[in-house]
Amino acid sequence: MANPLVVRAEDLVKTFGKRTALNHLDLAVKQGQLYGLAGPNGAGKTTLIRTLCGLIRPDHGAAYLLGWQMPSTRVRSQLGYMPQDFAVYDDLSVLQNLEFFGELYGLRRAEVHRRADELLDLVQLSDRRRDRVGSFSGGMRRRVSLAISLLHKPRLVFLDEPTAGVDPKLRRNFWDYFNALADGGVTMVVTTHLVEEALRCHMVGFLMDGSLLTEGTPEGILAQTDAANLDDAFIRLQERGEEDRT
Amino acid sequence: MTSFAVARNVLRRIVRDVRTLALIVILPLFFVLLYGNSFSGTYSGLRIAIVNEDNGLASVRTAEYGRITTSVDLGQVFIDSLDPKVFEVEIMNDAESALARVGDGVWAALVFPKSFSHSVVNEAVRIGGGREIQIRGFTATLLPSQPINSPMTVLSIDDSNPLIASAVSEALNTAFAASLETEQPSLTADALLDIQTLHDGRIRMLDFTAPGIIGFAMTLITVMLTAMSVVRERTGGTLTRIMIAPVSTWQVTLGYTLAFSFIAIFQSAELFLASALFFDIRFVGSPGVVALIVLLFAIGLQGIATLISTLSKNEAQAMQFVLFLLIPSIMVSGVFWPLESMPASIRPLSYAIPLTYANSALRKVMLTGHDIASLRFELTVLGAIALGTLVLSVLSMRRQAYRA
Repeated sequence: MANPLVVRAEDLVKTFGKRTALNHLDLAVKQGQLYGLAGPNGAGKTTLIRTLCGLIRPDHGAAYLLGWQMPSTRVRSQLGYMPQDFAVYDDLSVLQNLEFFGELYGLRRAEVHRRADELLDLVQLSDRRRDRVGSFSGGMRRRVSLAISLLHKPRLVFLDEPTAGVDPKLRRNFWDYFNALADGGVTMVVTTHLVEEALRCHMVGFLMDGSLLTEGTPEGILAQTDAANLDDAFIRLQERGEEDRT
Repeated sequence: MTSFAVARNVLRRIVRDVRTLALIVILPLFFVLLYGNSFSGTYSGLRIAIVNEDNGLASVRTAEYGRITTSVDLGQVFIDSLDPKVFEVEIMNDAESALARVGDGVWAALVFPKSFSHSVVNEAVRIGGGREIQIRGFTATLLPSQPINSPMTVLSIDDSNPLIASAVSEALNTAFAASLETEQPSLTADALLDIQTLHDGRIRMLDFTAPGIIGFAMTLITVMLTAMSVVRERTGGTLTRIMIAPVSTWQVTLGYTLAFSFIAIFQSAELFLASALFFDIRFVGSPGVVALIVLLFAIGLQGIATLISTLSKNEAQAMQFVLFLLIPSIMVSGVFWPLESMPASIRPLSYAIPLTYANSALRKVMLTGHDIASLRFELTVLGAIALGTLVLSVLSMRRQAYRA
């Protein structure tokens, strides 16, 4: 049996003043899929993720997560969200941050600590767990943010540029982990600017001016654009989009 | 030139931020208008109770006709000379009831005894000495009189508010002077009055202003702390993270309310203790009732702060919005200048400020030991503000998460 759709967006439209952030956008992501959202700055990636999560109400169209129309309180416990900003408490330690958000998700203290061991190992902050987050660099804060997003073992995860400011070796570890999560049935939607990251996705959607210009497997996009690599493919897609706009 | 570039950049950013620009323009005007109005008002609506038992008759000894009695009705002359813009006069029949009303919605009670007119005339003749007067068309020579032992006119004043007590006393003296000038120019009001004060002048200006200042300190700290914290949560993204978790907006708002109310109560306890310890502030009422007032007040302040944070894009804007609450709180809530001295145009603003009710309730408990039953009005308003702002906070909290 085919994997069920976990994320479904139908004809989403969202405008901010005169600017159209989402332009009749449709999207479908299956369970266990690692879906990469690519596109130039201001393409609408963050707006799309926030709309899917129910944080922005679309002007038109609807978004469904795990079968529920958003915004819905029913999916919150199964949803992991990592915003683009750090969204961590600088004045608390790493562990205190995890404990607080764990409590919001109804996790027991022992469970939080068990998950903290695993996730802090992934983000390589085990030895800094009692340090205040305010003393961390941007990349380290983002790692704390990622750990918080995955703490409650969500079935569906939205990560908005999770690897920005993270060094290449660690970035690779992250993507190994994302792939492992997806193999385990977790659905992931990840925005990225990096081609090597898009290559690790099962599906990639290329957004421009709030529209999904194209989507497919990385190999499929290469074939569509007749490009030697995904970098060239993205540039060609962007140029095509700019031509269409003019 | 670099300095000019920096200055130009700062100003350009402010001009682009319409809300901040509006605050910069409006705030000074708001401040001056409030300041001018709160200082320039005259007292009005001062409630006093009067029992007029005066029979209106005065008898004098004359050389030509012996003792003659005439109707002068000085009690009524006095009542008629009270400025209706200043006083709301309640005419009562029973002296005991009228005196009991002092301190309970009535600032002063005046009881004219049956012999008031006679005493005044007798005293005037005694001081003025014998002279010729015109009575019913005849000329008569007054004979000197002796002091009489008749009951004095009782004036009881609530001095829990020294400013109002002094204003009432002054206005009544003016009325006395005006009424006596017609009849007896040589008399002063003080000679005719048995002036009693409810608290024997024990309430100092420091005691009188302390409840309001404590309330103002609570407003300042609670509103600033809450508004800044919520704005920081929103701009930092943690509020979004909280709201996307499986918790209700009610739970989140209640969490904030609990935390900031706890802080407010702790701070108010500190303020009360320090005031009592270092300045011997008068505190004759129940600490439990004060705690209830403080709790309701703190919840309301926390709610208002959350609403302020909804309107603010950033911490700087929140700070400026907070000033719109703080300035009227100190100027028109009755902390220094009584509401009775505010112009009618300002009073609606006074009644819209939570500190007006907290100050009134705290004063009643701390200065005069009122019990909870007599604070029904203030507690109801503070409770309604607390509940209303709590509901609005819940609604605004979700909106803030969407905006983050």
